[in-house]
Amino acid sequence: MIDYVGENLIAGQVGELLIALSFVSSILAMIFYFKSSELSLEVNSWKRLGRMFYRIHSVALLGIIGILFYLIYTHSFEYYYVWRHSSTTLPVRYILSCFWEGQEGSTMLWAFWNIVLGNILIKTAKKWEGGVMTIFSSVQAFHLAMLLGIFVFDIQIGSNPFILLREHTDMLSLPFTSNPNYLEFVEGNGLNPLLQNYWMVIHPPTVFFGFASTLVPFAFAITALWKREFHSWIQAALPWAFFGVGILGLGVLMGGAWAYEALSFGGFWAWDPVENSSLVPWIILVAAGHLMLINRNKMRSMFATFTLTLLAFILVIYSTYLTKSGILGETSVHSFADGLPGQLIIFLVFYILLAFFFLFKNGWGLINKNEEDAFWSREFWIFIATLVLVISAFQITLSTSIPVINAIFGTDMAPPADPISHYNSWQIPLTILITFLIGFTQWLKYKKTAVKPLLKIITPSIIAAIIAAIGMAYVLEIRKPFLNLLLFSSFFAIFSNVDYFIRMFRGSVKKGGSTIAHLGFGMLVLGSLLSAGNTDIISKNTTPVNIKFDNDKDANDENIMMIKGDTVLMEPYFVTYLDRRIEDKFVYYDMDYLKLDAEGRYVKQFTLSPFVQLNEQMGNVPEPSTKHYWNRDIFTHITYADLDNLDENSQEEYRDADTLEIAIGDSIFISNSVIIIESLERNVDSSVHEMLTKNRIGLGLKIKARTLTGNTYEVMPLMIVDVENNRVFNPWVEIEELGVRFSYATTTKMDYDKVELRIAEKNKNSADFVIMQALVFPYINVLWIGCIVMVLGSFISAYNRVQERRKKNKQLNK
Amino acid sequence: MKKAHIIGIVLIAIAIGAIISTVSDAATYADFSKAEQLEGREIQVVGTLNKEKDIIYNPKENANQFSFFMLDNNGVERKVVFNGAKPQDFERSEQVVITGTAKGDQFHADKILMKCPSKYNDGHADGLTEITAESNL
Repeated sequence: MIDYVGENLIAGQVGELLIALSFVSSILAMIFYFKSSELSLEVNSWKRLGRMFYRIHSVALLGIIGILFYLIYTHSFEYYYVWRHSSTTLPVRYILSCFWEGQEGSTMLWAFWNIVLGNILIKTAKKWEGGVMTIFSSVQAFHLAMLLGIFVFDIQIGSNPFILLREHTDMLSLPFTSNPNYLEFVEGNGLNPLLQNYWMVIHPPTVFFGFASTLVPFAFAITALWKREFHSWIQAALPWAFFGVGILGLGVLMGGAWAYEALSFGGFWAWDPVENSSLVPWIILVAAGHLMLINRNKMRSMFATFTLTLLAFILVIYSTYLTKSGILGETSVHSFADGLPGQLIIFLVFYILLAFFFLFKNGWGLINKNEEDAFWSREFWIFIATLVLVISAFQITLSTSIPVINAIFGTDMAPPADPISHYNSWQIPLTILITFLIGFTQWLKYKKTAVKPLLKIITPSIIAAIIAAIGMAYVLEIRKPFLNLLLFSSFFAIFSNVDYFIRMFRGSVKKGGSTIAHLGFGMLVLGSLLSAGNTDIISKNTTPVNIKFDNDKDANDENIMMIKGDTVLMEPYFVTYLDRRIEDKFVYYDMDYLKLDAEGRYVKQFTLSPFVQLNEQMGNVPEPSTKHYWNRDIFTHITYADLDNLDENSQEEYRDADTLEIAIGDSIFISNSVIIIESLERNVDSSVHEMLTKNRIGLGLKIKARTLTGNTYEVMPLMIVDVENNRVFNPWVEIEELGVRFSYATTTKMDYDKVELRIAEKNKNSADFVIMQALVFPYINVLWIGCIVMVLGSFISAYNRVQERRKKNKQLNK
Repeated sequence: MKKAHIIGIVLIAIAIGAIISTVSDAATYADFSKAEQLEGREIQVVGTLNKEKDIIYNPKENANQFSFFMLDNNGVERKVVFNGAKPQDFERSEQVVITGTAKGDQFHADKILMKCPSKYNDGHADGLTEITAESNL
């Protein structure tokens, strides 16, 4: 036994104990809750036991989370998880991100929201508590099983977050594991630089809160099918569905904001598989919520309502499977490789089977074969809209699942080479339909609507939308028919909802949650169309050198080279690469954006400083910098920078020299100036160089260097022949200001026409250029405002549904 | 015919359309020799960078052209040309996945995905970082 120094083993042991306790109590809670709802819907002793164990489970889980935070905060690198995801140099504000970077931490985050929601439901679910909490406890048991880290017959169940660094399988044979003082020199692996961003502190908890909230309608739906209470569950589940729409929508959009702010793919949405798999459950939850609305009074499409409600949560598990199992592998930039694929598949399949079982055992009879909704009724068109949403979700899921399809059917399809145009070709037409439906469906009445008054009432919005769309298409030169149609339909959605909000709700924010949410969605679509559809690349390569190798495609000139001090035209700006600053592990490149005033002088508009985050272990990460105006963003990022020799000493070192054959009158371009070979001087004396003592003959080359700003420097490299000793010297002569030195390279023959010259520049000269990209996103603020408005609208409607339910309960009690 | 039937038929038609579009837009995994048989088609090739040969990138001449030699999983070597800036740390890459088309004896990539080993735990598969670069179309 080795006596290791400085390890804090107690915390981990308590943590492991709490995992076991939390796991067991979630199973007990499930069993007791199940028992209780087998008996009756009223409170009984089984239910009390269920509650008790769910609370024990909750407290134990909070303890696990607290301990892991404590270990990360105290840099306890004796624990693998802490070592893997954090380091002592990491700023405290990113400790939260370390916590959920790994698979175990993100599982705990999800389970955390389930205990929050579960405990609220214990208080509020009333007669539904038994069934709903059975489902909640079962999900928690699956989560906790992923933290167990035990072996049953050589099969690993779960991965323990408290495993010690020296006991981790990756470290077993490494020498440090037998050094009792290893903690003195172990430093953490650190957090992925991409995650060191404030959005990554708030985006994961929000997305997981959204994921967790899809479980509430799921649990209500299962209980309803189980207890054959096909109708009254909607009233209870509805507020949760719209709360989920709001919070999951917020989380997804925060992910987009993170991509826009911190990733360099130049946009907020790239149809990346991980993005897609969080979007799809949201789309289905929106569809499910709307079906609940039209079925709360009349059970016309109850089977579909159940199906979509159950599907939303199943898609959340599927999404976790895609991102955590590593199956996306080569197709996604940000998938985690270290998952537990087997356990995730069991988790997924279990709930699919559960849903199928209840849906077909008890729900089959709900398929309505006779009655049909009237064509001009609200419920009919809401139903059509949910179908459009389902198609949208189906298409995204299908294309995102290519690696899964390959795994199941043994095919070898690769994901679409151009994902953006692939997804857009489907999603743009569907979005046109959705925005149009959003614009007109709420003017319809339930049951039956007269057509003529309807047309009259939406005419102003249609006319306004046509005018706005034509105007915008003209200003931004949008020429694609589908985009023009989308422009119209999104304007129509906006105007029509504003109109409805004023005419029908009389501007009451409290009542108009749905209208506000729809208005926000319209703005979101409009904003993404205007900004992503009309992104203007201003960093066009204007140099004459442009090698086209491919005649089918236009030359790619989105990138531009900037030499330090240069001013380059990027319509409508002139951009100067001012300076490079190194602060800690960040290398900033200051770019001044200038405009010409009436007298032809440069006037500075603003400075952008895109930067590169240096990270030896995980690779350097370039991050953009953006200037926000109310109606456009100017976005820049570095696509290439020389990051070698960044420290000051090596900056001052000379690189290897180039030897050039030159003639008098030649000029040579170097990084910061033009070198002109003026003349050959035959009789130079000691006034030119100290080595020219007696008995030595000097041959000099008069060189002038002119910088781009017009400064000139003179210098004279020499060939010095020592006649007495029969030796030749070629000393370096330097222009210090320019960081360049020369030496006369010809030593054998005295040729006056052609001379060999050696030129060397300092490292700092060569590193003084970057390749950058500058994009203008017009009206991107419409998108962000739309997001906020939509989320607020969803929360308002969730709140309204809670109020509605309370009123109803009160009436019933009277 | 009832509305439900019409809706059902439309739905099935759209679903089939989505499946066909996914299959037809999907690129194909292949090696260089297959890519050359299918010249002009979008292909994904998985392989490694040949570190013995030069990686050519002269941003001062053209910031948007970058080329290197890559070995596919059968060991066949081709010159790969990419219209875009060289991804950071490209030299360190352990595995490269390129998407593009074969043109004569060259491969024109419009997307590069690479995996780099992280320095601390060299050789462990979970220490990979992935970087993508898109050509600027």
